[in-house]
Amino acid sequence: MRNKFVETLYQEACLNHDIVLITGDLGFQLFDEFSKELPKQFINAGLTEQSMVSIAAGVASLGKRVFVYSIANFSTFRCLEQIRNDVCYMNNSVVIVSVGAGFAYGTLGYTHHAVEDLAVMRTLPNLEVISPCDRYETEVVTRMIARDSRPTFLRLGKVGEQDLYSAAPDLQFGNFSRLSDGEDGYIFFTGPVGSLAMQARNILRQSNKFIEVISVPFVSNLEKKYLSEINPNLPIVVLEEHFKRGGLGAAFFEKFNELGISARVKHVAASDEDLAMTGSQDYIRRRRGISLEAILDAF
Amino acid sequence: MTTSAPNSNNSISERLAVESRKAILKMTHAAQASHVGSSLSVVDILAVLYSGIASISPATVTEIDRDIVILSKGHACAALYSVLGLCGYFPEEWLERFCNDGAELNGHATSIKCPGVELSTGSLGHGLPYGLGIQLARKNGLIGGRSYVVMSDGECDEGTTWESALIANHHNLDSLFVIVDRNGIQSMGSTEETLALEPFESKWRSFGWTVRSVDGHNHDELKAALVAPNFGRPTCVIAKTIKGKGVRFMENQVLWHYRPPNDQELSIGLDLLQGKSH
Repeated sequence: MRNKFVETLYQEACLNHDIVLITGDLGFQLFDEFSKELPKQFINAGLTEQSMVSIAAGVASLGKRVFVYSIANFSTFRCLEQIRNDVCYMNNSVVIVSVGAGFAYGTLGYTHHAVEDLAVMRTLPNLEVISPCDRYETEVVTRMIARDSRPTFLRLGKVGEQDLYSAAPDLQFGNFSRLSDGEDGYIFFTGPVGSLAMQARNILRQSNKFIEVISVPFVSNLEKKYLSEINPNLPIVVLEEHFKRGGLGAAFFEKFNELGISARVKHVAASDEDLAMTGSQDYIRRRRGISLEAILDAF
Repeated sequence: MTTSAPNSNNSISERLAVESRKAILKMTHAAQASHVGSSLSVVDILAVLYSGIASISPATVTEIDRDIVILSKGHACAALYSVLGLCGYFPEEWLERFCNDGAELNGHATSIKCPGVELSTGSLGHGLPYGLGIQLARKNGLIGGRSYVVMSDGECDEGTTWESALIANHHNLDSLFVIVDRNGIQSMGSTEETLALEPFESKWRSFGWTVRSVDGHNHDELKAALVAPNFGRPTCVIAKTIKGKGVRFMENQVLWHYRPPNDQELSIGLDLLQGKSH
């Protein structure tokens, strides 16, 4: 996903010289082509995440589309007030990019786990929160974001995610993207953890249960029309790689409440016990309750 | 430290500063708002910038190569608002409604409803990196225009100040100016008792900046420091000021960071600003 993002952004930046990329000294070798070919559109701000975001806002105030890149919590929590005041409040055209959604940096420990970012970012006004699930969604949303001007948070996985699409989807800001049809229940998910949703769907199909699987790349404002047309009597799973509080699940509960939908929802998300837990992404997901079994249990 | 006598060269900025000081007292009195001392401290710097040092006017306020003034110490907004109102950036009547319910001007510098305010501030340490970003983009895009970031000395406790000091030097941003309102007082006491800044000049110099220390109430000195050669480096002007300057009983008192003037204090303050003795 990370490479697809950089490749797509580079293509867009070659077409639009108002695109600027600022990195907080992360992305070794990732930006070699970008920085060599587009030196006036590339800044390494050093390890100054707070200043970097204010700088990005200042650059954007002159009409630029500025992408700020770092990993995990460094481009969100470390500089949260700068995002809140200088980007969102000032409505500057800045895109905050965070690589390493959920436990992508599993072995690096809790400092590198992005598990509260959706909760925080989706409460910020004026901010479009976007969380693609694979390389296809990443390419499409990166182009959409590059051609948009609103403050945006882009939550990316890292590398090696399973592709859930076989071709570029037609995405619209604010809309869900259906990956499979079904009459026996729903799995709504955001981000690379969607691979578990597809595995669950394939297993259930063997016992003649057909599940509608829906990707939610646009998290800040869930699609009302889609939700108002679902059958609330069927089992619903909301799946995310994030702590249970405040993320996609909370967004669904809020939206169901707003729409007056009474539904049976199983929220599959991470527990926050034993913060010092280490291991691979798969291991930490399982240990924290994000598993195939937890999803299947709902059906 | 004394304010120089008005002369033909600086009379515009000095008159603006006097009128702004009166407006600051009236605004903070009417709104019962805090930060009168900080506003009186910084107002000469703003008056000088908006009287010709910064190439900016109500007619050019949205032009891409305008000079940009950022009040990073957003709590001193009464000073900025009064200068902008008196210079015609928005109707002067707005000053009378400062902090009223639904008013245009709120209690920290807010750009969204107020022409001339470049950045909404209120949390310290945001103005310098923001102005730095503007100058970096201008340098890369070969766009003209300077940025003047007006900061408090207490604000130099913030890490972003020194991150930005590094970055501005690294990129040789010679069109970036910081003016520190060095009144020596922050919210709970003196800067040196709270978190010592001295030797302040040499700190900035060691980060590669051109540094000048001036009397921050002397308009000639401020102007000279802001137009002098900067040797291809970002410039820091350390403007030595007095918190509460011009209203004797407010001068150098932490109390007036918080307390608004009452009716009697307003009346005495306005007399003092007009040269009447008390």
